[in-house]
Amino acid sequence: MNREPVLELVGVGKAFGSLKVMEGVDLTITAGERHALIGPNGAGKSTLFNVISGMFPPTAGEIRLRGTRISGLAPHEINRRGLSRSFQITNIFHRLSVFENLRIGVMARHGVRYGLMRPISRMSAINDEANAILERVRLARQHDRPAGDLTYSEQRALEIGMTLATGADVILLDEPTAGMSREETDQAVELIRVVTEGKTLLVVEHDMSVVFSLCDRVSVLVYGRILATGTPGEIRSNRQVQEAYLGEEVA
Amino acid sequence: MLARVAAIGVVLAVLIAVPPLLGIGWQNAMTNMLIASLFAMAFNLLIGQAGLLSFGHAAFFGVGAFATLHLMLAIEDRSVSFSTPLLPLAGAAAGFVIGAFAGYFATIRSGVYFALVTLAVAELLHSLAPHWDGLFGGEAGLSSMRMPWGGLSFGSTLEVYYLALGWTALSILLLWAYTRTPFGRLTLALRDNEQRVRFMGYNAHATKVIVFAISAMFSGIAGALLAISNETANYSLFSLHVSAQVVLHTFVGGSTVFLGPVIGASVFTLFAFFVSDVTRSWLLYQGLVFVLIMLYAPLGIGGLVQAHMQHWSRLRWPDLAPAYALAGAVGACLTGAVVFLVEALQIVFSPEYAAARRRLDGAWPPIELFGLEWQVFSPVTWIVPSLLAAAGLLLLPHARRKLRESWDGVLERAEAERTAEPEPQLAGAVEP
Repeated sequence: MNREPVLELVGVGKAFGSLKVMEGVDLTITAGERHALIGPNGAGKSTLFNVISGMFPPTAGEIRLRGTRISGLAPHEINRRGLSRSFQITNIFHRLSVFENLRIGVMARHGVRYGLMRPISRMSAINDEANAILERVRLARQHDRPAGDLTYSEQRALEIGMTLATGADVILLDEPTAGMSREETDQAVELIRVVTEGKTLLVVEHDMSVVFSLCDRVSVLVYGRILATGTPGEIRSNRQVQEAYLGEEVA
Repeated sequence: MLARVAAIGVVLAVLIAVPPLLGIGWQNAMTNMLIASLFAMAFNLLIGQAGLLSFGHAAFFGVGAFATLHLMLAIEDRSVSFSTPLLPLAGAAAGFVIGAFAGYFATIRSGVYFALVTLAVAELLHSLAPHWDGLFGGEAGLSSMRMPWGGLSFGSTLEVYYLALGWTALSILLLWAYTRTPFGRLTLALRDNEQRVRFMGYNAHATKVIVFAISAMFSGIAGALLAISNETANYSLFSLHVSAQVVLHTFVGGSTVFLGPVIGASVFTLFAFFVSDVTRSWLLYQGLVFVLIMLYAPLGIGGLVQAHMQHWSRLRWPDLAPAYALAGAVGACLTGAVVFLVEALQIVFSPEYAAARRRLDGAWPPIELFGLEWQVFSPVTWIVPSLLAAAGLLLLPHARRKLRESWDGVLERAEAERTAEPEPQLAGAVEP
């Protein structure tokens, strides 16, 4: 595996006014790695995702994507540099068809953002690619249905598809299996494993079985700081982590 | 699809063939109908497709009209030579430029804040225009004459009508083509979820500015057509009334249906043409129609039409026809009662009636309504609207239940058909 760092966080902090929710976060994710971010509720996992993806800028430190600084950029600029994220609460285009939801992402990848001169139906490269992603996330049967009509787990799959559609190779997934049954979770994990093949993945996850089966490395975030980073085995046996967070789940 | 093209062809043929047979008043009303339709279509690009509700679209309508009048004045002076049929290009250019500028600020925010900024832009122009002689001609406004061009004199109402028809048809065609482009699809995505659009690599603000400017451009064309038709414009074009009117037209017609705004604008323009001659309360009736449609058919007239077209094969007219007949009867009773009361009260409280009473030393002369004389204090007079209202209100729950039952049947059949569709064996077997 290529061990070149793809996403680097150096001393990243975030404060809302005088309230510091994150401080001194250092994290390095290497190419092709599947990295999990775990931590108790309120540890700042979502904040960290928001800071990395540009929803709001960090108040300290620097974030680099393949060596270039991305902290402080707008979300669309970060996405164009190759980092794409999903959302914990399903964030799709409810009234557009499932196909169209994905096509919006593919359009961005092809750079047809302000295309006004040609009908989209004639852009076969874009349509084919959207169809290919539709099949990869196993929603081809739902092609024409409004995305808002899908079942919850189908919407979660669409959410992942949309995250992939913009062609980014660094993928951030925010609790992709939240609210799913055991069976749905297994399917979702399998889907994530397949579709992120060859990409770099950072995933927030509560389900420890998902974390330990899917990911190469794990970082534990507690009170806005990284407590430990290591392989699933190292994290499992880390006393500090056990005390702070994992508790009985690992025992 | 073929049926739709044929229907549009028939409507266009009627719009081309019929006006020469009509009087000037009608031709004028139809020109106004076209202008209102185009304005509402331009407005609906924002609310229907981008999900942005503008309360100040009169700004761009007015700017288009004034820009066109300036060009007409220059042509009149012979300082510029420009073809009369292409005058709306001035409105389009002015609408686009001012729209891009105002849109840049308005679209920094969404929702209520966006609506308030657009409102402020129109109000700014409305208060500025009467004091700015050079640009807006002060309170009197600007006036000019249409110049002949080619073999056409542009002297008759009919020629202006055809010019408006050509520009409206072309603009609506372009707006339709817009919905088929990648940017048109992105506009819909923006309406559904602006945040996700940003996280998929699009600059949401730039996108909104472009949509806004295009909407303002087509509004400017509509304003230009008005300037050409009236040969004059003043600051009242920027008034809140104009901004509100286009909102009403769009929602009565249905903002979710592509041609819905055309329906709303046509219905209300013709309504004004007919009813404003008959009664001074026509704006009240227009407001009542708007409120009723928003409450009971929130997708507008276009939404009702679309529902019927979508389920055409599943409609069972033996069920529906009695329900519609009953609903129509209820509507007629209640309309009769309301109109009777409004008109009677309007007469009784009018200054003319007060003057008539003074002439008769305080006696109450009969009022004339629907070609009959009614005594103000005779019970017969008030029994009529009371009976109509009572009949309407008694039958109303019944009519609503019948409507609901017959449409429930239609929707059940639609759902049954959908679930009965054979599901493909393999994921991915469906090709677009």
